[in-house]
Amino acid sequence: MTALRPARSPSRPSRRRAPWSLAPAAALVGFLGIALVAPQVLATHDPFALDYAAALQPPSLAHWFGTDESGRDLYSRVVFGTRESLAIGLGAAAVGLAGAIVLGALAALGPRPVAAAVDRLLEVLFAFPALLLALLLIAIAGPSALTQILAVGVGTAPGYARMVRGQILAAKNSGYVQAAVALGHTRWRILRAHVLPNALRPLVAVFALSVGQSIVWASSLSFLGLGVAPPSPEWGALLDAGRTYIVQAGWLVVIPGLVIVALALTATTLGRHLQAGLERGEK
Amino acid sequence: MRQRPRTTLPLALGLTSMIALSGCAAGSASSSSGERVEGGTIVYAHQQEPPCVFGGWIEQAYLSYQVLDNLVSLDEDGEVVPWLAEEWSASEDGLTWTFTLQEGVQFTDGTPVDAEAIAYNFDYWVAGGNSTAQVWLQDYYESANAVDERTVEIHLKAPYPRLADNLTQGYFGIQSQHALETRSDEENCAAPIGSGAFTVEHWTRGQNITLVRNDEYTSWPANAEHTGPAYVERIDWRFVPDGTTRVAALQSGEVDAVYDVPAVQWQSVEDGGFELHRYITPGRPQQLSFDTKEGPFTDQLVRQAFAYSLDREEIVGTIGHGVIPWEGNGGVSQATPGYSEKAAGWYSYDPDRANELLDEAGWTERNSDGVRLKDGEPLKVVLPYGAGSILNADGAAILQGVKEQASEVGFDVELVPVPQSELFAGAYSTPEERDFEVGYWTSVTAGILYINWRPSTEEAPNYNNGAFYDDPELAAIILEANSTADVEAQNALYAKAQEYIAERALAIGLYDRLSTLAVDPSLRGVWQEHAQGGPTFYDAHFVQ
Amino acid sequence: MTRTSSSDAPVVAGAPAPAAARPSRLRSAGRLLAGRVVSAVVVLWGAATVAFFAQQLLPGDRATVILNIRTGRAQRRTPEELEPIIAQFGLDRSVLQQYLDFLRGLVVGDFGTSYQQFRPVTAILGEQLAATVTLSLVAIAISWVLMVVWVTLTAGRGPRVGAVGSGVDVVAAGLPHYWLGIILLLVFALGLRWFPVMGGTGPAGIVLPALTLAIPLAGFMAQATRTEFERALEQPFVVSARMRGMGDTAVRLRHVLRHAVLPAVTLSGWALGATLSGAVVVESIFSRPGIGSVLVTAVNSQDLPVVVGVVTLVAVVYVVANLAVDIAYTLIDPRVRLS
Repeated sequence: MTALRPARSPSRPSRRRAPWSLAPAAALVGFLGIALVAPQVLATHDPFALDYAAALQPPSLAHWFGTDESGRDLYSRVVFGTRESLAIGLGAAAVGLAGAIVLGALAALGPRPVAAAVDRLLEVLFAFPALLLALLLIAIAGPSALTQILAVGVGTAPGYARMVRGQILAAKNSGYVQAAVALGHTRWRILRAHVLPNALRPLVAVFALSVGQSIVWASSLSFLGLGVAPPSPEWGALLDAGRTYIVQAGWLVVIPGLVIVALALTATTLGRHLQAGLERGEK
Repeated sequence: MRQRPRTTLPLALGLTSMIALSGCAAGSASSSSGERVEGGTIVYAHQQEPPCVFGGWIEQAYLSYQVLDNLVSLDEDGEVVPWLAEEWSASEDGLTWTFTLQEGVQFTDGTPVDAEAIAYNFDYWVAGGNSTAQVWLQDYYESANAVDERTVEIHLKAPYPRLADNLTQGYFGIQSQHALETRSDEENCAAPIGSGAFTVEHWTRGQNITLVRNDEYTSWPANAEHTGPAYVERIDWRFVPDGTTRVAALQSGEVDAVYDVPAVQWQSVEDGGFELHRYITPGRPQQLSFDTKEGPFTDQLVRQAFAYSLDREEIVGTIGHGVIPWEGNGGVSQATPGYSEKAAGWYSYDPDRANELLDEAGWTERNSDGVRLKDGEPLKVVLPYGAGSILNADGAAILQGVKEQASEVGFDVELVPVPQSELFAGAYSTPEERDFEVGYWTSVTAGILYINWRPSTEEAPNYNNGAFYDDPELAAIILEANSTADVEAQNALYAKAQEYIAERALAIGLYDRLSTLAVDPSLRGVWQEHAQGGPTFYDAHFVQ
Repeated sequence: MTRTSSSDAPVVAGAPAPAAARPSRLRSAGRLLAGRVVSAVVVLWGAATVAFFAQQLLPGDRATVILNIRTGRAQRRTPEELEPIIAQFGLDRSVLQQYLDFLRGLVVGDFGTSYQQFRPVTAILGEQLAATVTLSLVAIAISWVLMVVWVTLTAGRGPRVGAVGSGVDVVAAGLPHYWLGIILLLVFALGLRWFPVMGGTGPAGIVLPALTLAIPLAGFMAQATRTEFERALEQPFVVSARMRGMGDTAVRLRHVLRHAVLPAVTLSGWALGATLSGAVVVESIFSRPGIGSVLVTAVNSQDLPVVVGVVTLVAVVYVVANLAVDIAYTLIDPRVRLS
């Protein structure tokens, strides 16, 4: 999402954003951090307990986000769903970036035939709609959290791999590397000391961005009914389950969606700040 | 893509009604209700798109019912009445059935509906032309032959007195022999040729099928409300998977009738002045069969404990909003002839009893999550279900209630939503892979028990026996029932089989599968056929 | 469901420039095209191969699957039942033989026969392609309008407006299709009743599905365009245009925009592929026919020939779109390749 900026353009004007723009993001990260470690502190109800008498109640003081068709408290379910949702997002981002680094490095630095082959492979994988790659994987392995992580990771890796490849090539052709070559440094040393650090540093920011994106992706799969098994409160699964009640109980769809969007935006904001910081650091 | 501009339909409708209106204006204003409008197009939103018009899916039976005629029809009292066959009888020994056909009926390709064509259709079904017709017939059907032009004989291996009842289901629609023999699979799949009130005009895959009136129609069933061709000119049979969308389309006037109203929206549709139809499908209800071959449910005490741990009435009542009836009977649904109340009431919600039974069965310890243990093994059971295919969203919510309630007495139920692709690939089909089977099977009679409980043998495996319960005693009761001609005696035997199943807790009911319809008040005369609740548009007409 | 990735542009631009002396533009474009076509064929072959073998990995016996699809019942089957199916689809051939036959079919445009519908896959795809491509193109067009209007209005108007502008870009780009689609459906179709609930293929039915795809795409493109736009605003030709007394709006539309949209042009080619992916979700929400719903149904029922057909088709669309963009890019801005 970020790296759209063509490499030849300079970075955006290094205007510092007002720090207040980070405050909501920081608050959300704090909240999710607690939800991750100790959801019972934040939850107001048992997220799995059925209370048929309280089914489909709109948001109120007793149930902040309302209740679902079986009377379960949606707020508590969202809180308890944090762990699984974040685990899937982080896992998928890690799988995607790890794959991207390997493939991208091979394409940029491997021996000529390998590089060419990987290059083609990347183009082939990139030609697949990522969702289709994910669908194929799920069809083979069956739906589960692990498949979801792999599916999203595999689906996003080709895009990042092309970016890694570009970064490495750019670093390889930069002045300081050429200077190092002129100084007679070994290939491996140049690679380790100059090319890789410079090429991979921006990926720290990309990782943050990709977590947000991976969560959106993973929840899309859950939405298509290909995610984790019920009654898991994973956010995408909550949204999918709420679809039946969209007219009578719109909050079951709107609220989990808002949470996903908020998290994706937070990850993006943080990623951008990291990126801006790194770019300033480079100068 | 051949695409009819959407706007022409409402426009054409609007025009007809305007013309009709101006015609009425001369008369009295009170004629605004109930005056029949000739022609028009019914826009009907159905839930699932089948691969072919005719076949073994219920979606196909609903669709082909508009296009094909059956030999016989079922009326609202459950009596078999004439359709293509004027009369029929079984021989003394019950082994030969003779059907006499109506005179002068033609398929829409111009060939006659004669005895030879009927005999051909029977052979076609049994050879796999219709997978559902096949499982009903295969163990009883011997052969069929034409005696003369209008008389066909069906020979059976053993008596089956309810044969005619079964033939009323859409799976037994009669097709043109000529079409089956001379046309490609593709053509017969997309537009089968029958003698029905409508013919298939065009199928836009992923969107709709248009059916057009058969103006030469002569072979209406005896329980239809009128004679002659259908009133409306066309049916636009749309495929709209999402229930909320279907209902909203009905409420905004985009469609005239919708199938499967979500329970949660039932009340608002009723309040909106729409006509609601609810049909409880007879046959196997949505039920849980226990795996009696492998795992903890080989122990009858554990099965019974599971049954006692559930308050099925409460779960179904809440999720079903009073629209979906709960069902205690694991054999057949309450709409099935020969239904046993006793079997249905065998297990009520009694967690104390469930706990006692589990203690008795040796599951005495509990781990920190409250799951019972025996020899250190947790009481974990796997419940796979066809998500979005065999069970809809309401069904999935009901299973979550089952999981939660069973956990109170120490079961750890793992729910596994299985996509259709995996089910088709044979996932979760063996005793080692699962502990439950969940699912329904529509049927006119309790003869469905034979399909679901016939023992599996080396030569004739029965993969429809979801409990893996190969018991000659139960099979003997059902077989005897199948061949008993006297209805009361037959029902008593079927009831005995249900109680046998209930007593041993081989299967327990959850809820009854419904076929529901909501119809715009401007459309009258839509009814649900009585064999499995599909919409019937032959008598349907618009009013103004 | 926009794919997080770099566009082609940075990679291409960052790659080492060809060392050759500047050839005539026409020849260079010709060679570029030839090279591109060759690699396009390789990509297509690779995509089809991946799809073929991925499906071979699917669990379960294929003949059982086909029979179960046709009968609508999930169960095991006896060898006698399976025999005709195996014969019909040649499933007793070796995988290699099946693969070779499959490739031969691809070359002559025969994708095989659907297990479910008994019809040639090409017929199924041909029927559904128009609806999805229309949706994609309309979505891309709408996203261009949204993007151009928004960026022209908000870029380079000082830090506050700029922050709001780019904030909206980020939010829009981050909206998941499934959620946006449901909200639009809930508000404008179910609530206000401005649009039909069932998408259909009419002009009124395409608005909400297209908006669902267009809004995130617009945000996405706006991010790329905004940077360029703000940079262009500081260029000498803008200053001179202003000095000539040209109004602000005219400057923005006639001078700045032209320079700023290049990255968005690149993105549009990529977007055609990406919107096809998004179509899977959108078609499901709005009950629209199209490639997306065909794909989901086919994956759901393991209708292998259809799945492989869709994959190959999407690869074709992607390859052709990017080929077109590459050429357009070279023509619009010849410096790109040589910078």
